[in-house]
Amino acid sequence: MKLVRHVLRVPGGRRSAEVASFFAQLDDLNRRLLEDLRGTGAAELAWQPKRGQNTIGMLLAHMAIVEVFWTQVAFERHTPEALALALGLGIDDDGMPLPARGAPPAGLRGRPLRWFARLLARARAVSRRAFARLGPRDLEREVERTRRRDGQRSRVNLRWILYHVLEHQAGHHGQILLLRHQYRDRRRT
Amino acid sequence: MSAPRRVETRIVPAEGFPSREVAVKLSEIAAVHALLAEASEGLSPAGLERQPAPGRNTIGMLLAHVAVVETHLGQVGLLAERDGHVHDVLGIGMEDEGMPLAPGAGPPAALAGRERDFFLDLLARAHAHTRAACARLEDADLATDIVRPPRPDGTQRVFDRRYILFHMVEHAALHLGQIRTLRATL
Repeated sequence: MKLVRHVLRVPGGRRSAEVASFFAQLDDLNRRLLEDLRGTGAAELAWQPKRGQNTIGMLLAHMAIVEVFWTQVAFERHTPEALALALGLGIDDDGMPLPARGAPPAGLRGRPLRWFARLLARARAVSRRAFARLGPRDLEREVERTRRRDGQRSRVNLRWILYHVLEHQAGHHGQILLLRHQYRDRRRT
Repeated sequence: MSAPRRVETRIVPAEGFPSREVAVKLSEIAAVHALLAEASEGLSPAGLERQPAPGRNTIGMLLAHVAVVETHLGQVGLLAERDGHVHDVLGIGMEDEGMPLAPGAGPPAALAGRERDFFLDLLARAHAHTRAACARLEDADLATDIVRPPRPDGTQRVFDRRYILFHMVEHAALHLGQIRTLRATL
C-alpha cells in the first residue's frame, strides 16, 4: 500500500511559532513546485505561448524577486540596489510586466531549472534569516510603502506580507502548471 | 491627475475562535476568497464558461472546484468525517465541477449558464462551512493525524489539520493564479 503523508511540521524552539509555521508552509510549496517542474528543460522554461506572455522562467524569477522585495519592505530597508545585492538579480530582471508583444528578458535565456531553484533558495534564505528575528507580537507591526509605478501608498501588517508571499507563490505555481499543459499541447500539434 | 490611492491591508485573526492559529488561517482563506471575487468581477455566464480549448478548464469550473475542495477538506479533514458530503453544503456534488475534464470534453452541464453570483454563493457557503468546522478546534487538534480510508488504487492518505488549513489557502490561491491567466485571454 502506498502511504501519502501530508503533515506540516513546524520546528520548535523558534522565537515565533507563527513565523516558523509560515516558513514550513512556504517550504512545502517550494518543494511541490520543484517536483512539478522536475525534468523541465531550458527550452520549456523560456517558452512563450505568444509574444507579451510570461514564461515559466520569468515566473520563477519573479517569485524570488517578490519574496526578497516584501522581506525588505517588512524591515523598511528596501531599495532596488539592496534587492539586487541580496538576490543577485535586479528588481526588473524578471521582465514583468512584459509590454504587449514583448519577448522574455535576455538575462533569463537558456537558464536551466537548477539556476532558478538556486535563485528561489537564495530568496528563501534572505526571508528566513530576516523573519527569524521576529517575536510573537511582531507580525502585528505595520509598514508603509509607495508603489513605483503609480505612487499608490499601501499600509500592511507583517502577517499580511507572509500571507501574501505564500498566496503569490501559489498563484504563480498554478500559472506554471497551465504553461506546462500548454507546452505539452503545443508539442502534440 | 487624481491623487495616488491609499490601500490598507492586514491579516488579523478572525474573532471568536479558541485557536489563534486557526483564526489566522481563516482570515487568510477569506482574503483569498476576496481575491477570487475580484478576479471574476464583471464576468458574464459566457465568460465564466469559456474554454480556451476542448478539455481545458473554465473560470467557472475553477471557482466551483475551489468551493468543492474546501468543503470536502472541511468534512474529511477538519471534522474527520469518513466520507465527504459536499452536496449537502453547496447544492452541487464533487462530480458537478467537471474536474478533471476528459481530453476534448466540454464544461459540465451543471455549471452551464450560471451567473457569477452562483459561484460567489458557492464560495460563501464553503467558507461558512469551514468557519463552523473550526469553531471548536484547539491548537492541540492541529497536529492530530487524520488517516483516510484506502483508495481503490491502494493509496492511503494521512494528513493533519494544520496541513489542511494551509492547503485550503494555497489551493485556492493556485487556482486564483490560473483564473487570472484565463481572464487575461478573454
